[in-house]
Amino acid sequence: MAVEVILPKVDMDMETGAVHAWKVREGDAVRAGDVLFEISTNKAAMEVEAPASGIVRGIAAEEGATLPVGTIVAWICAPDEQPPARAEPAEVRAHVAAGGSPAPAKPAAPAGAISREPSALRATPLARRLATSLGIDLRQVPGSGPRGRIVSDDVDRHAGEMQSTVASAGARNGAVIAADARVIEAGRPRVRRVPLTAVQRIAAQRLVESVRTAPHFAVSAHIEMQALIDLRARLAPRIEEQTGIRPSLTVLLARIAGHLLPRHERINGSMEGESVCLHGDVNIGIAVDRDGELMVPVLKRAGERSLAELTAELARLRKEIEDRAIRPADLTGGTFTISNLGMYGVDSFSAIINPPESAILAVGRTVATPVGRDGQIVLVPRATFTLSCDHRLVDGVLAARFMRDLREAIEHPEVLI
Amino acid sequence: MPNEIVAHGAGVRECSYAEAIREALAQAMEADGRVFLFGEDVGVYGGAFGVSGDLFHRFGPERVIDTPISELGLAGAAVGAAITGMRPVLEIQFSDFITLAMEQVVNQAAKIHFMFGGKASVPLVIRLPGGSGTGAAAQHSQSLEAWFAHVPGLKVVQPSTPHDAKGLLLAAIDDPNPVLIFEHKLLYKTKGPVPVEPYRVPIGKAAVRREGTDITVVATSIMALRAEAAAQRLAAEGISAEVIDLRTLRPIDFPTVAESVRKTHRLLTVYEGVKTMGIGAEVSAMIAESEVFDFLDAPIARLGGAEVPLPYNPALEKAAVPQEDDIVAAVRRLVREGEA
Repeated sequence: MAVEVILPKVDMDMETGAVHAWKVREGDAVRAGDVLFEISTNKAAMEVEAPASGIVRGIAAEEGATLPVGTIVAWICAPDEQPPARAEPAEVRAHVAAGGSPAPAKPAAPAGAISREPSALRATPLARRLATSLGIDLRQVPGSGPRGRIVSDDVDRHAGEMQSTVASAGARNGAVIAADARVIEAGRPRVRRVPLTAVQRIAAQRLVESVRTAPHFAVSAHIEMQALIDLRARLAPRIEEQTGIRPSLTVLLARIAGHLLPRHERINGSMEGESVCLHGDVNIGIAVDRDGELMVPVLKRAGERSLAELTAELARLRKEIEDRAIRPADLTGGTFTISNLGMYGVDSFSAIINPPESAILAVGRTVATPVGRDGQIVLVPRATFTLSCDHRLVDGVLAARFMRDLREAIEHPEVLI
Repeated sequence: MPNEIVAHGAGVRECSYAEAIREALAQAMEADGRVFLFGEDVGVYGGAFGVSGDLFHRFGPERVIDTPISELGLAGAAVGAAITGMRPVLEIQFSDFITLAMEQVVNQAAKIHFMFGGKASVPLVIRLPGGSGTGAAAQHSQSLEAWFAHVPGLKVVQPSTPHDAKGLLLAAIDDPNPVLIFEHKLLYKTKGPVPVEPYRVPIGKAAVRREGTDITVVATSIMALRAEAAAQRLAAEGISAEVIDLRTLRPIDFPTVAESVRKTHRLLTVYEGVKTMGIGAEVSAMIAESEVFDFLDAPIARLGGAEVPLPYNPALEKAAVPQEDDIVAAVRRLVREGEA
């Protein structure tokens, strides 16, 4: 019995979605739990797993095409089974859509003929597969096998040699390959090609999209941290008693931002088409790294929840990210993002806005800094906060007002009461 | 009866392939009154290869039955007994003689369950000593298992170890369908660990005998042993061969083979039956048709029996079927030169 594969609903308000990239091809054998395809929501890359073991047939969603949630995009069949008729194979549909008939089979190359067409080259299936995945033109690869057949080792060797002449591994057909040049083995240059993970690829696309569409500007402020440090010192034992976890500076800042943002609705807003979307809730995304992958879990309604709740919530989100058990609902719906690199010793930085949000707050480290006060130079703990804004929604004055309120709240956290 | 059994851990001891089969028969007959063994010289004489041994004396002439020399008659009796509720185990003295019983095996045993809409089944086991190497010449040395693996409705197994001989025979006796067990005459005296208690080796499941990364060698029956020995020699020259003992020809365990070839990128099949239209062709085609095709980095190669009636001359007889050296050479050629 063929099992249908549908475009799942991974977010509460999701009505349509798109297969971002298929990870299997027509006819592939899969086991239940194997990744079939990636979908992208407005916040996260999600891998969709096979609901059953069997053969993938009747792939009926082109990459990137928007489809209603619940659309059948493929079937998992028994080896000798065909999918139900309504899911025609994608190629057939494509031909029909293009008004054409299926292309006639290519005439076979005459035996022994040497052609420059890759299909007529002698190469093993694995070598062809590898060349495709590395974006290598097989015609450039010398074959070491019988009668000049190209084997996978030849492709590997060629990929290594290419590094010395080709400066960059580019993007081809949407597949971005990161190159990491290393000098090993007696100075012989070698490239290590590591495909981006699904999360990295989505993050890359979203960041490019953000920089391309949102005119960024940044405002910075040095803010004295003593009051917040004192508050945290007083609260920490109590919160730790309740939750078992010490509240981080980031959680305090999320709570403060949650308190402030209802009064800065454009900074809490998002650009959607020709209009600005103003959100009733303040949902604070926290930038988190997982083995080189940027993830932004969201603290929902951060302004209405206690520090203890937020502390426990962020700990849960971090653990689920670590365990790769995070649900899309926890990665979506953010209205503002905080990125704190202070713990790495960064003094200040400006971040790229997490689209479609309109601003992101970058937090540097707290440093004992000499400042002038009442005619004296005194040392005060101080941190630099930088707000990157989308100038389409937020102008300099709005950004400045937010920073003024942020300074007030951090230097006098009692205003939160 | 000489006792060749050696203690070998808790409940497991070393015994020969023939003893393992005898033990399976005895345990099946003890457990189930419907099980009986019959065939030419299986009784008083103890079997042409000594497999049934003392079973005649232990279970009596009603359950270990010497028969006339008439394979078609025996097979017909076996099918009839199976349909009427018995669990017959038929020994065909040399597997070559099954040609005389083709009508009953192929046209009756394999089809009755289907043609009667499932109302009848044929829980029949046929034991078939096959293979060359004993100087028994062209009519007593063949490996005809592929003929039967071609027939829907039959199951075909080929144990290569004492452990699998016992486990597959017990599984075959349990099975409600006709199962043909091709035993290898040269394996009867080989020894290995065998649990004392009854157990089953699942029909349809191959065994990975040795893990490797450079090539998958799929072998059947005694060829699995030769492939293992070859793999050991090849390891010394830096070639890591994975050896899969197919164990069951029908239904064939494709996933185990596919998973291995996906990893090693190369496939050699080794079987004693004549190379053309044999097991190796089937395994090769399954891989070539599957998604594993894209993972092949060399042609698929077959190593099978020569295209001749098996010679009586011992040197020629040996040359007519794959030997350990042939497997070593074929693997080297595939891995080093990329040639089948």
